[in-house]
Amino acid sequence: MSVTAHGAGPLVPAEAPSGTPGRSLVPYGQGRIRGLDADELGVHGAAMDRLVALGLPVVPGLTMPAGTAASLCERDVAEAAVALVEQLSGRRIGDPARPLLLRLSASAPTEIAGLPPDLACLGIAPARADDLCAVIGGEDALYEVWASTVRMVAEYALDVPVAVLDDAFLDTPGPRARVEVLLSLVAEHGSGPFPDDPAQQLALAARALLGRWASPRARRSRRAQRLPAELAVALHVQALRIGPADHSGYGTAVSRDPETGRLSPQGSFFRGVRRSAPPPHTGEPLDRLAGGTALLEHSLLTLERHLRAPVSVDFEVRDDEISLLAASAQLRPPLRASVCLAADLARDGALGREEAVRRITPAQVQELLHPQLRLTGGEELLVRGLPASPGAATGAVVLSSERALELAADGTRVVLVAAETTPADVPGMLASAAVLTGSGGIASHAAVVARGAGKPAVCGAEGLRVDPAAGTVRFGERVVREGDPVSLDGRTGAVYAGTLSVSVAGPPPELSTLLEWADGVRRLGVRVNADTAAEVETALALGAEGVGLCRTEHQFLGDRLPLIRRVLLAADPTTRDEALVALERAQHEDFTALLTAVGNRPVTVRLLDAPLHEFLPAPGQALDAAEEQRAAALREANPMLGLRGVRLALLHERLYPAQAEALFTAWADVAATGIRPELEVMIPLVSLPEELAAAAGYVRGAADAVAARTGVAVPYRLGTMIETPRAALLAGELAEHAEFFSFGTNDLTQLTYGFSRDDVERQVLASYQERGFLTASPFVRLDPHGVGALVALAAERARSARPGIKLGVCGEHGGDPESIAFCDALGLDYVSCSAHRVPVARMAAAHHALREPRDDDSGSAR
Amino acid sequence: MQSAAVDLPDASDEPLAEAVVDLVLRGMWRGRPESEHRPLVDAGLAMVKGPVVLPTERAKAAAAQILRVPAGSEQEERITAAYEAFLPVNRRIRDVCTAWQCRPDGTANDHSDDVYDAGVRESLEDVHESIQPVLRRLDRVLAGSGQYLTALEAALDRFDDGALEWLASPLCDSYHTVWMRLHQELLLVLGISRAEDEAREEELVTRSRG
Repeated sequence: MSVTAHGAGPLVPAEAPSGTPGRSLVPYGQGRIRGLDADELGVHGAAMDRLVALGLPVVPGLTMPAGTAASLCERDVAEAAVALVEQLSGRRIGDPARPLLLRLSASAPTEIAGLPPDLACLGIAPARADDLCAVIGGEDALYEVWASTVRMVAEYALDVPVAVLDDAFLDTPGPRARVEVLLSLVAEHGSGPFPDDPAQQLALAARALLGRWASPRARRSRRAQRLPAELAVALHVQALRIGPADHSGYGTAVSRDPETGRLSPQGSFFRGVRRSAPPPHTGEPLDRLAGGTALLEHSLLTLERHLRAPVSVDFEVRDDEISLLAASAQLRPPLRASVCLAADLARDGALGREEAVRRITPAQVQELLHPQLRLTGGEELLVRGLPASPGAATGAVVLSSERALELAADGTRVVLVAAETTPADVPGMLASAAVLTGSGGIASHAAVVARGAGKPAVCGAEGLRVDPAAGTVRFGERVVREGDPVSLDGRTGAVYAGTLSVSVAGPPPELSTLLEWADGVRRLGVRVNADTAAEVETALALGAEGVGLCRTEHQFLGDRLPLIRRVLLAADPTTRDEALVALERAQHEDFTALLTAVGNRPVTVRLLDAPLHEFLPAPGQALDAAEEQRAAALREANPMLGLRGVRLALLHERLYPAQAEALFTAWADVAATGIRPELEVMIPLVSLPEELAAAAGYVRGAADAVAARTGVAVPYRLGTMIETPRAALLAGELAEHAEFFSFGTNDLTQLTYGFSRDDVERQVLASYQERGFLTASPFVRLDPHGVGALVALAAERARSARPGIKLGVCGEHGGDPESIAFCDALGLDYVSCSAHRVPVARMAAAHHALREPRDDDSGSAR
Repeated sequence: MQSAAVDLPDASDEPLAEAVVDLVLRGMWRGRPESEHRPLVDAGLAMVKGPVVLPTERAKAAAAQILRVPAGSEQEERITAAYEAFLPVNRRIRDVCTAWQCRPDGTANDHSDDVYDAGVRESLEDVHESIQPVLRRLDRVLAGSGQYLTALEAALDRFDDGALEWLASPLCDSYHTVWMRLHQELLLVLGISRAEDEAREEELVTRSRG
């Protein structure tokens, strides 16, 4: 986008050349008065027009509109252009006291790539060069720019063979000598000499620029951008006012700090003559500008309000004063800048809140919540290098590709550490979770490879010494051995000793504001899949409205595994009942913590769903031969489709009552402290209405028992997962026993396709995607035609049996924007996803609501 | 057999010498038939790690010795001139790959912006235009180095056909992969260490200031 946004349209036919040469020269700021827009003026001419209209200082110059640009190749038009720029700038070419040169550039109706490079230093001649160098106080920059201009003109306007020019550049490294050689080569091989006359130089430069624009390379670039092959460009002649290097220069600035997103000009400037690629490390921060940054700030703020986008400007410094060379909305501003600006504009009333929400996509929300190392303050920082490839990772140090491949083959996460990288390190980098190098920068080969492989990387960590013989790496005095764990963050460049946990960053304040506005727009509820109180707290901080899925499996693992094992393998009922009581007590504690964390919000607790084999001892690990035998009898060929979920509960009849009693008792205890979670009890893996009816009976019995014991009638809803195709087809019948459904779309996808997820993800899905059978993994994006159709059908049947039945989705699809849009379109009540996807889901639901407003929003209550 | 520190493959065993150089410059082989790597493994020049074949330290030393041109020779001088012309372009290709992978603000380039990508492609063209005369000169003084221009052009063609990984992916003979191999060969041919290389590149790039 430029100051005036415009589509690349067909071009206005050329104006007939009129009697007066230069009639079509348009000084900056006068295009609109003459009825010209970006199609004729190019984005640059239109932008300069706008800057003048906003009262901002601009560099003197003029535009040759696209339709007549070619006439600048004519001597008389070029003469008129030179005279006009001299007049506009109040200087004359060849004046040794206040010298002036010209810069020629091109621009198209929209921002595009592949324009010819600017040709600067026009108007210079060997006899006048020393005067200019004396004014500047240096010569390299001037000669360098001059050399590239002569080279372009020689190649594209004077037909000097490329090979001759290449040789001259390779054999003559010094810029001054280069100019001399090039000028003599032009005299020898060119169709004419390189002239001293400024107007003749300008006319030749225009021909070179248009020649380059017509070259095969430029045509290829237009094709790649799907631009018209014959797209015409406007030409611009700008004053290049030469002054002492100490008080003159050029720079760029953006309106916002990329780290915080706040309004605060950021950029750098260079002293001396403007070059296309300033030498590295010579830029200076804006606060070193002798004339101050007030005018720059004013310009950036004015432009930002006008364009409603973070902006960038190029500026020139002459005698410590700033004037603008170019200005535009940043094509891809830093995310935080966009978010901050959207919030700022909406707060000022310059933008509606809905519009502000619309500006930030769910993918951008995800990007802002990137994983990072969880720091507690007690970490040992080993070294800080350059942030070379984003991402956080932790793993064991390896010092060679060989070791990396060995350990990675065992499934160990490793971090390759190398002082410097050669091709021999590439296989190790590919096998590692992250890469750390002692030399090289963010553009080193190692960094390029790490990013190409999607691995986090920190490069150029100074003071890192690898000793391959000793198998150690030193960070200053600190010695780390191969195999020791380290953690690194490729966004900050920090490397820590030990294994740190990797977690999602919290939203920055301005994003929280936008997400709150998004909450005001969306219809779909967003809950979290969380099993413990700690997970619930994290998710609530990220904006979850409740828990859509609490898996109770973890309550039976770890040190409780022997208890559930005794329930399943007990030789007699007494042993089993003892184990059940112990389990109930442990679960009661878990539920109390969970419900306290949930507060007065909805929480869906799924009764035990795990497949039986997860609880059985490995062969040979049972307590005695009899137990070994009972365990062997229970082992299944296909546990995921065997004794699992409600099926297990129907065989072990005390399981669900014990779980439900623990849950209800916990609720009664928590209610006594004034907290009343909206409890939803969910039965998993149902495919027969009879299964659900029987399980519902257990839950009712448990509620009655708790009421009898405590005097508290616990309010709850009873519902079921819909995760088998049969359950979806029989939704109407199931709805007679259920007050809510939660679609377990992970299992529903497996069972609808007949895919075993782990197996197909390894072997099938990539090939199907390559062949175009699938556009995305159905485990990531809900398959709208098959699985989605089952969900739609189940929703319809359930609603006709029980109007107002609560419907949600608790698979991983609950965090995928496209799947969320699908759920919202079906009018489901909520999606439930893992904590780190909650903000994404909030934004995705809001975007869908804004995209597809529903006339009747009363159809479903959340 | 040489008495030098490194036990080189027999000079008469040209295929073995060629193979060890290729393996070292590539850093690894993947998916090569066993008949190709078996002789190297038997000679202690390669090791097999799962699907990957890696050069041993001995192989690296051997390749360095095979490739090194005589110190102080005219050939060394001419290759050094090409190498010094290579270094500033070497900086630029890494910048181009970086711009291809990351936007200027450090976020990943998701290739949704045609204009940005076309701009990177333009700078790649600048790099390609600059490296061609360098490689043509190198070809005259270093046997076999002509293959690099061919391979770079092949990568560029595939990239222009829409296979975007052919610019910077380490998993194929992408433009960057080939470039890295060329760089490594120059270092071994001239016996220059990575640290020296970095210092020299920095010096050449920052030479012009005023």
